[in-house]
Amino acid sequence: MVIDWLPSILIVVLLALGVIGALRRISLWRAGQPEKVNLIAGLMAMPGRYLNDLHHVVERDKYMSRTHVATAGGFVLSMVLVIAVYVFHVEQKIVTWLLLGALVLMLCGAFFVFKRRLNPPSRLSKGPWMRLPKSLITFALTFIVLTLPVAGVLPEGFGGVLLTLILSVGVIVGLGELLFGMGWGGPMKHAFAGALHLAFHRRPERFGGGRSTGLKPAQLGGESHGVAKPSDFKWNQLLGFDACVQCGKCEAMCPAFAAGQPLNPKKLIQDMVVGLAGGTDAKYAGSPHPVRKTGKEPGKEVGHAKGGANNIITAGLIEADTLWSCTTCRACVEECPMMIEHVDAIVDMRRFLTMEKGDTPNKGSEVLENIIATDNPNGYAPSSRTNWSADQNLPVMKEKKQADVLFWVSDGAFDMRSQRILRSFVKLMKAANVDVAILGDEERDSGDLARRLGDDATFQSLAKRNLATLSQYSFKKIVTTDPHAYHCLRNEYADFDTEGALKGVEVLHHTTFLNQLVQAGALKLDTFKGGKVTYHDPCYLGRYNGEYDAPRDLLRSLGIEVAEMERSRFRSRCCGGGGGAPITDIPGERRIADMRMEDVTATGAELVAVGCQQCTAMLEGVVEPRPEVKDIAEILAGQLIEEVH
Amino acid sequence: MSQYDALFEPLNINKLTIRNRIVSTAHAEVYATDGGMTTDRYVKYYEEKAKGGCGLCICGGSSVVSIDSPQSWWSSVNLSTDRIIPHFQNLADAVHKHGGKIMIQITHMGRRSRWDGENWPNLMSPSGIREPVHRATCKTIEVEEIWRIVGDFVQAARRAKEGGLDGVELSAVHQHLVDQFWSPRVNKRTDEWGGTFEGRMKFGLEVAKAVRAEVGPDFVVGMRITGDEFHPDGLNHEDMKQIAKYYDDTGLIDYFGVVGSGCDTHNTLANVIPNMSYPPEPFLHLAAGIKEVVSVPVIHAQNIKDPNQAKRIIEAGYVDFVGMTRAHIADPHFIAKIKMDQVDQIRQCVGANYCIDRQYQGLDVLCIQNAATSREYMGLPHIIEKTTGPVRNIVVVGGGPGGMEAARVAAERGHKVTLLERAEELGGQITLASKAPQRDQIAGITRWLVMELDRLGVDVRLGTSADEELIKEFKPDVCILATGGRPFVEQNPEWGADEGLCVSSWDILSGKVEPGKNVLIYDTICEFSGMSAADYLASKGSLVELVTDDIKPGVGIGGTTFPTYYRSLYEKEVIMTSDMILEKVYREGGSLVAVLENEYTGQREERVVDQIVIENGTRPNEELYYALKEASYNKGQIDVEALFDIKPQPVLSEQVDGMILWRLGDCVSQRNTHAAMYDALRLCKDL
Repeated sequence: MVIDWLPSILIVVLLALGVIGALRRISLWRAGQPEKVNLIAGLMAMPGRYLNDLHHVVERDKYMSRTHVATAGGFVLSMVLVIAVYVFHVEQKIVTWLLLGALVLMLCGAFFVFKRRLNPPSRLSKGPWMRLPKSLITFALTFIVLTLPVAGVLPEGFGGVLLTLILSVGVIVGLGELLFGMGWGGPMKHAFAGALHLAFHRRPERFGGGRSTGLKPAQLGGESHGVAKPSDFKWNQLLGFDACVQCGKCEAMCPAFAAGQPLNPKKLIQDMVVGLAGGTDAKYAGSPHPVRKTGKEPGKEVGHAKGGANNIITAGLIEADTLWSCTTCRACVEECPMMIEHVDAIVDMRRFLTMEKGDTPNKGSEVLENIIATDNPNGYAPSSRTNWSADQNLPVMKEKKQADVLFWVSDGAFDMRSQRILRSFVKLMKAANVDVAILGDEERDSGDLARRLGDDATFQSLAKRNLATLSQYSFKKIVTTDPHAYHCLRNEYADFDTEGALKGVEVLHHTTFLNQLVQAGALKLDTFKGGKVTYHDPCYLGRYNGEYDAPRDLLRSLGIEVAEMERSRFRSRCCGGGGGAPITDIPGERRIADMRMEDVTATGAELVAVGCQQCTAMLEGVVEPRPEVKDIAEILAGQLIEEVH
Repeated sequence: MSQYDALFEPLNINKLTIRNRIVSTAHAEVYATDGGMTTDRYVKYYEEKAKGGCGLCICGGSSVVSIDSPQSWWSSVNLSTDRIIPHFQNLADAVHKHGGKIMIQITHMGRRSRWDGENWPNLMSPSGIREPVHRATCKTIEVEEIWRIVGDFVQAARRAKEGGLDGVELSAVHQHLVDQFWSPRVNKRTDEWGGTFEGRMKFGLEVAKAVRAEVGPDFVVGMRITGDEFHPDGLNHEDMKQIAKYYDDTGLIDYFGVVGSGCDTHNTLANVIPNMSYPPEPFLHLAAGIKEVVSVPVIHAQNIKDPNQAKRIIEAGYVDFVGMTRAHIADPHFIAKIKMDQVDQIRQCVGANYCIDRQYQGLDVLCIQNAATSREYMGLPHIIEKTTGPVRNIVVVGGGPGGMEAARVAAERGHKVTLLERAEELGGQITLASKAPQRDQIAGITRWLVMELDRLGVDVRLGTSADEELIKEFKPDVCILATGGRPFVEQNPEWGADEGLCVSSWDILSGKVEPGKNVLIYDTICEFSGMSAADYLASKGSLVELVTDDIKPGVGIGGTTFPTYYRSLYEKEVIMTSDMILEKVYREGGSLVAVLENEYTGQREERVVDQIVIENGTRPNEELYYALKEASYNKGQIDVEALFDIKPQPVLSEQVDGMILWRLGDCVSQRNTHAAMYDALRLCKDL
């Protein structure tokens, strides 16, 4: 009877529709720019990446990880077996019982998905995502009932035509969501796009516990620079956007979102999806980009964003302010279970605004002009770069030519507050008899700020000139107190290091280096006698470079038990100072630094230890009374027991 | 990024890099002991400045190169012996350790000294003309002596170099031997050492040439000169430009320090270290004039006390370095505080000239408001650390300088501090002192303390008269009384204070009593208060006679300050009468009659006036002390041995049952601002 074949036919039809949808989706991604990936190796690696790397992120939320393992695992197994049983009629008992087992597993998972959706946190998107658990349950229940007779639990033909028809509706609902929806942009798209995203990820180094945080160089000299239209993204970036599950973990961590600035990273990714597929964001059912309640230009409400693969993104799809609100802190990226690269996308789009349009807001263009003219953001006379060290007796590489350690001073050289950090670090190095030299006036801005503001041309020029200078000298280590310069030197200069200036050179943050000195007994330190101390992880030290322990070890070496903030280590909240955010200065409802200081205050600490001059500046900018802010080098220098000669 | 960047641009003098544009210029410290050696106190004093960030310290104002230029009467540095070299090494190490640079001024004082002591030399001068400020008679220097002294300069420079100092400054200012040769006012010679311009320049040139030959091209040799002697028969600004250019053209000199004014009369001496009566940087134009004609950096000090002022001078390019010497005496951490963005916490020099006025009396230089200065070696701190002991409940009574300082130091230690003041404002006698003409800046002492008390969260209760009951309510662990004194006008009942025949100088300065038309001030103290009251009254239009039984009005005021009072008082035609005792006051009709008696002849005179103002010092306000004393744990006693040794009061480490009671300042006996603040600091620093 046709009716008996109905489920099988439906499965095949929906499978086919799903595949057609998927192919169409693939064609949307292919509108992006070419990017070489190893297709076979990527696909081979995909399951491992899913089971290890992705699961590792999801595992931070045990409830969700178990739920997902049950649901997704149950579904994948069920689907394979459903095809085996209902399309290829493999009906051995063991297979059917296995199928039943898989379906029950999925049902359990779906139940917890359902339960979570009863009272979902604000970060979760609603809309079709509210339907998903019901569809999952429908699928599982339908196939359980359908399979019971096949497994011999119920007699053949149980329930008759009526049940078959009902079950067919169930099959349509369940498979419609899970197969058709997967290909045609439903919530289940995440499984398909996510799997391929894992296979063809633009930063495969991230898998297997690796870290890849350096921005990819912009191609200079072409017709256009940066990403103006969705089709200007690499194809696998577009694919990455499609992997988004709208879980809103990024939204919950984003400092700009929390400050009420017009950026919600989840919405940004969804905007990109709207852009790549064309249309409007009317169906978006999550939190919007915060809309300013005050100020001259209120942001747009959801539903008004329009885009297409070849439409200019900032002309209708998102506001430029959204892009300029980002501090590039990578909290979103760190948190994303789908390993989407929000920051890459934002900087790509900034590159267009800055390099093509010259539209870097507020002080942005002035600062970039300063960097171009003077090699430092505030436009100081380059010859004043060593003013701070006039009394430090620091050898300069130009004369010394070689040293164990090259101290990369960074632009803190021009800032009186940062100079205290520099002097403290020098004091410690001297106490430990480190063979050190600086570049002096030959040093230039690392280019961090220019790069984050989208001016990759200036960044690349600075990088090349710095590398040319570095290549003249011989040193084993570069140590810097500035995590931003550290990141550039360690992770981003390699793309331009044709001379091998940094080959074999260890680039270290000063806390790492100081920790080595302390561990080696080269520094004699007194116990810290002040009050409670907490530690703020700078983004470019922690999330960008994975250094969470050295600063804490150093504090411990002073007898300090760090009173940790709730948001610490990889979940540290940005100070608001990264990515040129203080320069583009997009207004919000609150200041990020104020929120961070509230985190500090909540620990009851009287002192917040920092490892970054930018964080120091931002946190000290919070109105008093507030805890004291000191770089770890300053705290250490204060406890240094100096040898009396 | 800082508004003070201009100050922090390093600049080289010769090959020596100075880390910023702030210099502590040469001044006589009066700390060189053991025959003019730079011993512990001296070293620590300069180390503190270097620690505080000062770019260059030029130490040892008027340090002598020869044994016949006396130094012992004012404990100046003695470079006439190799014994100094290891002491210099200590000094240089201490300053270099903190990134500072240090040079020393070297000189032969010629006629500008005292001969009555040490080796009892004949003082020497180009033409044997007496110097009035030191009442110094002298001989005419002979050519053999000239060459011997050139050699002494060479040896002194060698000692400075061997001692590791960064340079020497040849003093050709303040009428030392070099500029005694320069000035036609003093140099009347007709031989090759005088007469013509070149002749007058010769001695200085021979010194510069010989010193340079000794120390080589890279060692800094500077020269301090005047910008204008301000004497009609002396060197004027154009002369000085010619001289500066002449020496600059030799290429021997690495920098010029420029000081406005000559120095060999009381009146010109007061210009050299301008007190609070002067405007800011009164002689900058002279230094800028010299800078126009020389090719090397120019340093200028004189009433530059504020970082904004210093920055403005440097930014405008008037000079290359600003001397902020008294600014550093008041706060050796001046630079550090700019760098720490704590400009508001800088203890600014108020120009009281307590420092230099002590120096001219041969006493060690001290700061009126910073008792830690030059006492670093004793363990008195500029930065007060928080206590690691118990946090105490401290009540300070009296908001004068002593009480405010006690409250400040106790609060820096981390204690809970309450300051009770009867008046509606803090300041005590400083508030009164600031009411006189040209004395308003003394209130800077209060201003800084008030800001610090506010920053430190001291509970200041104004308009609060403390009595036994109130103190008990606070249940203090330590109660510090700094209740000051009150005018002692009733010492002689014949003055008629009880009948209202006379008023006190406080009544006048506070504005409580309207100035009379025809006023006699009787001043037994002869310090600031009487002069200030006279100046105040005269400025309000009163006819004033200032009478004292002492040897002259204002005799207790130092050499840079009495001249500015005299200028003001003479200009306002105040009559100053010495040696007369006020015997009695009586009323006659609508007038008052003051009966004066000459101390030496007994001859009596009468003055008919309408107001008599008495300045007879103060009597302590000690009622509260005696009310609290018996019940206090320590019976109000301070362990003076510990106090003088800068050690913690032993009572602080005892199990105290009850309240510790101390008193300081004028409520014990009348002394001065420094005395009260010194006691406050040394008592409270270990609290």
